[in-house]
Order: sequence, then C-alpha cells, then structure tokens
Amino acid sequence: MARLANLETEYPVLDSTVRNFCASHGIFSAAFAEQNDSSERLKEGIAQVLSIIDDMHQPWLNGMELLEDAKRNKHVFPTGIQGIDLLLGDGIRVGQLTELVGPSSSGKTQVCLRTASNVARNHMVLYLDTGNSFSPQCIAYFLGKTISPSSAQAKNQFLQKVMSNISCHSVFDIFAMFDVLHQLESYLRCQDGRGCCQMRLLIVDSISSLISPVLGSSSTLGRALMTSAGYLLKKLAHQHNLAVLVSFARVSSVLVWLN
Amino acid sequence: MGSHAKAWLVEDESAREMLDRVLTERPFLLLPPLHRVPLRVGNVVELAGPSSSSKTHILIQAAITCILPKLWKGVSYGGLGHSAMFIDLDCRFDVLRFSELLNHRIMEAANGSSSKVGCHQKDSEAQFARMKPYNEELFALCMKRFLYIRCYDSSEFLATLKTLHYRLQKEREVHGVNVHLLLIDSIGAFHWVDRGSSSFPLEYDNRKSWHLQNVSEAAVQEIRRLLLVHPMLVMATKAVVLGNKYSTNELTWNYRKWSAVDNPYSRNITSDQQLPYREYMPAAWQSFVTHRILVRATEHASKLSLLCR
Repeated sequence: MARLANLETEYPVLDSTVRNFCASHGIFSAAFAEQNDSSERLKEGIAQVLSIIDDMHQPWLNGMELLEDAKRNKHVFPTGIQGIDLLLGDGIRVGQLTELVGPSSSGKTQVCLRTASNVARNHMVLYLDTGNSFSPQCIAYFLGKTISPSSAQAKNQFLQKVMSNISCHSVFDIFAMFDVLHQLESYLRCQDGRGCCQMRLLIVDSISSLISPVLGSSSTLGRALMTSAGYLLKKLAHQHNLAVLVSFARVSSVLVWLN
Repeated sequence: MGSHAKAWLVEDESAREMLDRVLTERPFLLLPPLHRVPLRVGNVVELAGPSSSSKTHILIQAAITCILPKLWKGVSYGGLGHSAMFIDLDCRFDVLRFSELLNHRIMEAANGSSSKVGCHQKDSEAQFARMKPYNEELFALCMKRFLYIRCYDSSEFLATLKTLHYRLQKEREVHGVNVHLLLIDSIGAFHWVDRGSSSFPLEYDNRKSWHLQNVSEAAVQEIRRLLLVHPMLVMATKAVVLGNKYSTNELTWNYRKWSAVDNPYSRNITSDQQLPYREYMPAAWQSFVTHRILVRATEHASKLSLLCR
C-alpha cells in the first residue's frame, strides 16, 4: 500500500494537513477518524483515502448479483466422457478449478486431451504441458470420431479450425507457469467481452510435477508458491470466466493441496 | 463531596433488570445446526476440521437462517430477518448450491404450514402453484440480504476489513437492515503465503513488516473495533489436519520451552484442553476466539463435537 505522501500527486486533496491528522491518529480505519472531526477538507481527504482502500479489494456483491453472474457466465462444458460428465453434473464448470487426481498412467492426460478437443470446437483452449504429453494426433483422433462423414477437404478444414483454437505451451518449472499465467491474465483483461471466439478452458497437465520439486518437508516458500498458484488459477477462473482443469499425480509428500 | 460519594453507591439497575436488558438487546441466536450452542452477537466462533467436513456447509446454513424472515405473509420461516456478510478467503463458494438450499428451506416452510391445514393432494399442488410468485419474491428478498466478497490475498482481506465499517453504515442507510452475521471462510487461507513473505522487508523502517503475526493482529484489531460499533456474530472456518503427531497447542509449546524441563513435543502436557490437531493460527487470533467447534466426518455420518472455551 502506498504511503499517503506518494499519493498526493494523484489525489491533491491529501495535502499535509490531512496527512498530519492521519499521522496523529495512526493511519488506520479512517472511518473512526471521521467521527472526531468536523472540517470539510479533512472529511474530503478521509473519503479519498477510503475510496483508495476500497479499490484495493474486490467489489461486494449481493446474492442476486452473484446468481445472475453464475447463470449468465458460468456455463458447463461437457468433457466428452460420459462417466465423468455424469459424476461432475454435466461437465466441468466455468469459474471453478477442477482437479483430476490419480496415480500415474491412470488416464488423466487422456481426459485432458478429450476435454480440450471437445471445448476447442467453439472456444479457445490453453494447454500447459509439463511433461511433453500433448499429442495432436490424439486430438485429431477424438475429433475424427465425432464428425459426420463428409468430404476429406471439409474434414481437413474442420480439423484445422479446431486445432488452431488450442494453444499449447510447455512449462517445466513453477516460475515459468507463473509467467505464462500472468501473461494470460493481461491478455484476457484486454480481450474480455471482445470477439466471438474467447478463451474458455485452461488445462495444466500435470501440476504436481511443477510443485513437488519446490515442496520440501519444512520449506515455507514451497507451500507459499503452491498456495499462490492455486489462488491465481481460481482468480483467472472466476474473473475471466475460464474453466480450469488441473491434473495431479498422487505424490506422498504433498499433504495439503488446494484445500 | 459527601453527596457525590453517595451517588457512587446508588445502584443503576438490579440483576434481574440487567438480565432482561441484555437478553432483549443481545438475544441468543440459535442457528441450526449449532442450535444447542447458546451464541450471542459479539461471540467469535471458530469451526475447525479437516477438509470436506462440512464446515462451509454449516456457515451457509447459518447464513440462510439469518437472512430468512421470521414471519412473512402469514408463513413462519423461523429466521432472523437480518443481513449476513460472507468473506470468502477460500474462493470456493458455490452460489447455485446456496440458492438451492435457500429455495429448499422456503418450500419446506411453506409446505409445512400448508400441511398443517390438512389439504388433499390436488389442493396442495394448486397451493404450490399459487405460492410460487410469493416464494420467488421472498427468494429475491433474501438473496439481496446476503453480501459476498472474495479476497485473493491478505492485503485484500485487510482492505475489506478496514472499509467494512463504512460499508455497513451505507447498508444501514440504504436498506435499513442490520448485519448480524459475519462469516469468514477459512481464516487460515493465507497462512503459508504470509509466512513465506515475511522474508521480504519493506523499504521504510517505520512501517510494520508483512509478518504472519502482524497481519493476524491487524485483522483481529479491525474485527474487534467493528464489533464495538456493529455487534455481530463472527463465524470462521479453519482447515486443520487431524491426527498429526505434533498435536500440541502452539501456546503450550512456548510455555514448555521457557520451563525447559521436558521435550517440547511431549504429549503429556498439562493444558486444560488437548487438541487432536496442530494449532497454526497466531496467538492474537487464538485469544480472540470465544468458541471453538471441532467438526469431523465419521464413517456413517457427520459428527459434531463441541470443545468450548
């Protein structure tokens, strides 16, 4: 949080009188300071500080607004696999982080690829691959199974279009993932609301290989990184209306993942 | 001077009058499923439990009881008719499930009252169709009383708490409804991030550094100040890991260190309460909590066991 002196250039009402007043009361809840003073200028200054602090957190919403946002933006995408869709209640939901946990070679990457191929028909997909497991042939196979037989050229065009909706990045450590996600965040902030083909799915396969190297038994930094990664994914999911699918190979040293 | 001294000895009110006054101003809030615990505004309840043990569900149920009115258009809903604020630090709140639960409670209460009259199947269906617009109106009214905010890190949480007084005043002016319930989902959500960031010092020496203890103390201070002006019941969930072998309370560990007698991890501690999990919240929060409830799932059903301070 910036010091009040630095904010003076942006908000000229926060001049030295206001700052002295705040300093005499210890700059904290300016709301309580309000009761003690009657000067107009001080009131303005306090109102300004309050509005600056108000901008530092998310907006308050009431239940009806939340519900409307959920109904309008938070759709469900079927994964294309019947059993999983049944368990998840029609598929993975936008705005939520869905985690696939299982031992190695249990089909997690297959589920990720299948879901990517399903969603990429109409929306853009970002696939973060940590173990070189992304396979365009698999995706082409899944797509080929579901489209009706038509001319080879039409099939080819359809394949091209869908494949171009999937962008795949390789990340091999957690800092690279943070980099990509921050870039994605600024990209989505400019893109939101514009254009017909929007990004709706983010897949990280598999996040456990990024986290287990930093997670020692007593290191706080590792757990802090893990928690921050989780929060960044949840923020992207909620604010930019993405469905996030994360696969996690079961590793014994990890006690608490995303609670 | 003598008359002034005598004035000190004159009583203000008898004990009976005081009890009457306190029970009217701060009545017991019986919120299911915690209706056996006599909670009042000003209490701070901590629901501790491993993950997936229905802690958030208890918060949601309490919120629904709070926002439903006591009596509305002749039907008794048994609620408190006040607003509830939900600070989501876990960012896992599902509004569709919340609205389903609210609808279910509204229908239950509506059907309950109609079944008392003793009508037939056809009548009850017709009554249900008639009640639908009323139910929707009530649903909208209740949902508007539920205020929600998400925080993605500690600084957003502190900013929310600091502007909460101002927000509550606005709510009171605009809607004329008081907030009686403050729900915090997962008070220990940013524990690791704050612990990790204490190694980064801020530029100026006169400002406090971003330690876990400082953040916790600031949060507790803000909530305490808020409770003076807006009396509310505070309920917070906390995720713990049960059955940890270091299951000693952080405070008693410090005590043992000073007495320098035994191994600090010894399980034979003489504390008045032995917690089956490792307490990780700083002392500022621990001493702020007035009621601590341990929730865990057994094989057959959820069991609620009470550990009150």
